[in-house]
Amino acid sequence: MTVLTPAQLDALSELGNIGASHAATSLSQMLMGEIEMTVPSVEIVDLADIYKHVTDEVSALAIFEMQGEIEKAGYVIFLMPLHSAIRMTNTMLGMADEDREINEMDESALNEIGNIMVSAFLDATAELLGVVMLPSPPVLVIDMGHAAIQQLLVEVACDVNEVVFFHTKLVCDQYAINGDLLMLPEIHTLSQILEMMDKLLNAHS
Amino acid sequence: MPIAKRSENPWMDRNPPRSDPRAIVIGIGDYHVGTEPMTSIGLGSCIGLILHDTRLGIGGMAHIMLPESGGKRDRPGKYADTAVEILLKDLSKKGCTPKTLQAKLVGGAQMFANFSGNLSIGLRNVEAIRELLKKNGISVKGEDIGGSKGRTVYYCPADGFEIRVRRADGNCSEL
Repeated sequence: MTVLTPAQLDALSELGNIGASHAATSLSQMLMGEIEMTVPSVEIVDLADIYKHVTDEVSALAIFEMQGEIEKAGYVIFLMPLHSAIRMTNTMLGMADEDREINEMDESALNEIGNIMVSAFLDATAELLGVVMLPSPPVLVIDMGHAAIQQLLVEVACDVNEVVFFHTKLVCDQYAINGDLLMLPEIHTLSQILEMMDKLLNAHS
Repeated sequence: MPIAKRSENPWMDRNPPRSDPRAIVIGIGDYHVGTEPMTSIGLGSCIGLILHDTRLGIGGMAHIMLPESGGKRDRPGKYADTAVEILLKDLSKKGCTPKTLQAKLVGGAQMFANFSGNLSIGLRNVEAIRELLKKNGISVKGEDIGGSKGRTVYYCPADGFEIRVRRADGNCSEL
């Protein structure tokens, strides 16, 4: 697989940073609370090491395929540990019971919140790159994070043993809510993005 | 086997039973042969294939992702055909033969309809592995496959051929 130069990794991480900041802002507005965001990491991760990044804790995942000008571009995923997801719905709807099972209302809230965040993420990155990127309708999965991501890897990493793994953690201390924003681009998407970024950087230098 | 443990509210299990921290984690496409405890976490459509030699108390585990290698040799644990081959090869070096080996399969779920409509990769994995085991004369002693939920599997060769499976709905069982 293509080895990324430090400059390319930097550029990708900056691109992710812009996208994730927009996503974090939209979450903050929806929760009416402060969100802290880690500096996004862009790493080339071996399939065998994915478990170091995503655990088998049961989580709620809103999964979106990136669509638009780039065909089959990869996936953006908003992942929340289950109890965080329930606390988030509770916070938004003014409920208190945390020891309940996840229900349809949580799921539709998660789809909606994921949709708003991921749209903000893709809008910001696509605007910078001068293309159109849209999220597909979400697929909501309640399962072990690793197992759900693994099924996406079957699509992304059929022929390769490493994937580009984009990762930001979002934390809201006020309501004890945390989540992860992940992006798994297809290899050819990545080279397209890098090309666009090179053009962008050259145009400004 | 009966369900060993079920928490009051499986979705809210805040302290999920952790696997043995000393266990070697077999990541996607990886495999291991030996006597040490091994685990594959978060199996979705992937299969945890375990081959065990009761006589010698050793065995191997592979975290298989796809049914066919199509000639690729760089990651033997990733594909059913190359994984069965390498497990048998490494186990035979330790004195196991297909006759003394038994197999168990865990995983192969279809968690959600894939965006590409590429259905049931999990079941294709299962079928490929069953076929290969049959061809090599290895009997299948247990399976926990299919469905729509992820699984984590734990296996300790020194303790015999009982494996522990924890499912995403909170159910744990021994197989």
